Amino acid sequence: MALFPLHSNFQADFVVQLVPVDSEDTMDRVAEQCAHHSVNRRVRKQPGVMRVRRHRTEELFPRDMKVSDSGLKPTEVIDIIYQKS
Amino acid sequence: MAIHQRNDWYDLTRATNWTPSYVTEDELFPDEMSGSMGIPMESWEVYDEPYKTTFPEYVKVQREKDAGAYSVKAALERAKIIEKSDPGWVTILKQHYGAIALGEYAAVTGEARMSRFSKAPGNRNMAMFGMLDETRHGQIQLYFPHEYCKTDRQFDWAWKAYHQNDWASIAAKHFFDDIITGRDAISVAIMLTFGFETGFTNMQFLGLAADAADAGDYTFANLISSIQTDESRHAQQGGPALEILIANGKKEEAQLKVDMAVWRAWRLFAILTGPAMDYYTPLEHRGNSFKEFMHEWIVGQFERSLIDLGLDKPWYWDTFMEELDSTHHGYHLGVWYWRPTIWWNPAAGVTPDERAWLEEKYPGWNARWGQCWDVITENLIADKEELTLPETLPLVCNMNQLPIVGTPGEEHWDIKVHTIEKDGRLFHFSNEVDKWVFEQDPQRYEQHMSIVDRFLNGDIQPMNLQGALEYMGMEGVAELGKDAHGYAWIEKVKANMKKAS
Repeated sequence: MALFPLHSNFQADFVVQLVPVDSEDTMDRVAEQCAHHSVNRRVRKQPGVMRVRRHRTEELFPRDMKVSDSGLKPTEVIDIIYQKS
Repeated sequence: MAIHQRNDWYDLTRATNWTPSYVTEDELFPDEMSGSMGIPMESWEVYDEPYKTTFPEYVKVQREKDAGAYSVKAALERAKIIEKSDPGWVTILKQHYGAIALGEYAAVTGEARMSRFSKAPGNRNMAMFGMLDETRHGQIQLYFPHEYCKTDRQFDWAWKAYHQNDWASIAAKHFFDDIITGRDAISVAIMLTFGFETGFTNMQFLGLAADAADAGDYTFANLISSIQTDESRHAQQGGPALEILIANGKKEEAQLKVDMAVWRAWRLFAILTGPAMDYYTPLEHRGNSFKEFMHEWIVGQFERSLIDLGLDKPWYWDTFMEELDSTHHGYHLGVWYWRPTIWWNPAAGVTPDERAWLEEKYPGWNARWGQCWDVITENLIADKEELTLPETLPLVCNMNQLPIVGTPGEEHWDIKVHTIEKDGRLFHFSNEVDKWVFEQDPQRYEQHMSIVDRFLNGDIQPMNLQGALEYMGMEGVAELGKDAHGYAWIEKVKANMKKAS
């Protein structure tokens, strides 16, 4: 377990923010922590599941993938988007 | 004793040059300080500044300017302009003094460098006046806000800002160190006087003086006019330097310096002047929108200056035009949301009438930035102020040192961070132009740590907002930025909702 800083680009928000997560967090947990700094602050909660992808890519990380297994680098930018079920 | 007519001696004195005999030309004007790009001294002697003055004339005029500005200040001291003005106007004053006063002192260094190291005698002569100008600007813009410090600690940031590690201070210092204190004489002539002053500040100061008069602040209007008339003179040092570079086959090098300086200046303008014009200025005093102002006064006149000199529009001109519609809205939202971290009190500027004005000036504003303000407004109505305050830092660009923002909204969301990896470190940029500036000279920029880099490096302790505020130099609650109107604008929103229902 180690502190792992990422930068959150949350769907519909206007700014990218620093979000320190843990290297053992799953992508679902990462998305929750990113949402804390955007949802109900400047964006509304949307229907669907929050998913994580590397910034400016299309492929979503598996929801249960750990940060340490994702290949993400510390301070990398991630997109958090709602996937409609 | 008979006094010669000015015409008898002026051209001789302003163009006086020496042929060094005890040292070589390169020792007298080392290229890293003069920036002459190998162009010999005699080629610089044709430098012809369009605005000419003599030392006696300069002293006489400057004395009159100072007497005028200080007299108006003394006469209007009892008018209590600060107490009587809209808080939006007062915040423009605080923002201006903090961002500009000590920047003027930095400019003294740049002018001094030209005065000593420029190979062009006319440039050296004009820069001596410029050095005196900037000294005066630093002093007068520290003296005027000083009287307000006893009742409002934020005015102390006129002196304090450049001595702190506030994120806005870091951004300003990074920019001015890049175009002024850390450049050779000819680069200063191009990047400071042509790129920044001719391109932006000269017109900005004209507009600001008019806005001040419109807001009834004649003290500030006089102060700014007094400064602007100096700027319009010493800003003309870059043009003739560019002409010499172009005539001697250095157009590409000259264009590069112009392109870098203009882009960097634009970023600073977007975060300072954009919010001031479109959000802080009370609606009844607003004339042009920031975008209209930029098109009419900055873009048009700067394009003409470039073409007249034989330069091209910067390669990123289309991106620049697109940003006039968007960037400052994001910067304003960021400044307001992270308001405890700045020394001025940003006016939200989003009452129903103000939003209608924004929508008219920037069609689609409500579906973009308006969506974020909707949530903020609802939180304030529901008494959830804590949700309108930050719990983390924004990602800051490794070039401009400002938060990386983009267009929000469910239908319009568009943020593109540009990232490069160098020696295991990731560098993030607001867009391709900021990245391009960095890539022109990575060694120059890569050692710099942004506020986020410093936080992650453990330089900021404790690692929370309180630790960050202390690191930024905030001394007590009185210095922290807050909503300019104490959320009074929410009552207008409520009244509008009541009327609608």
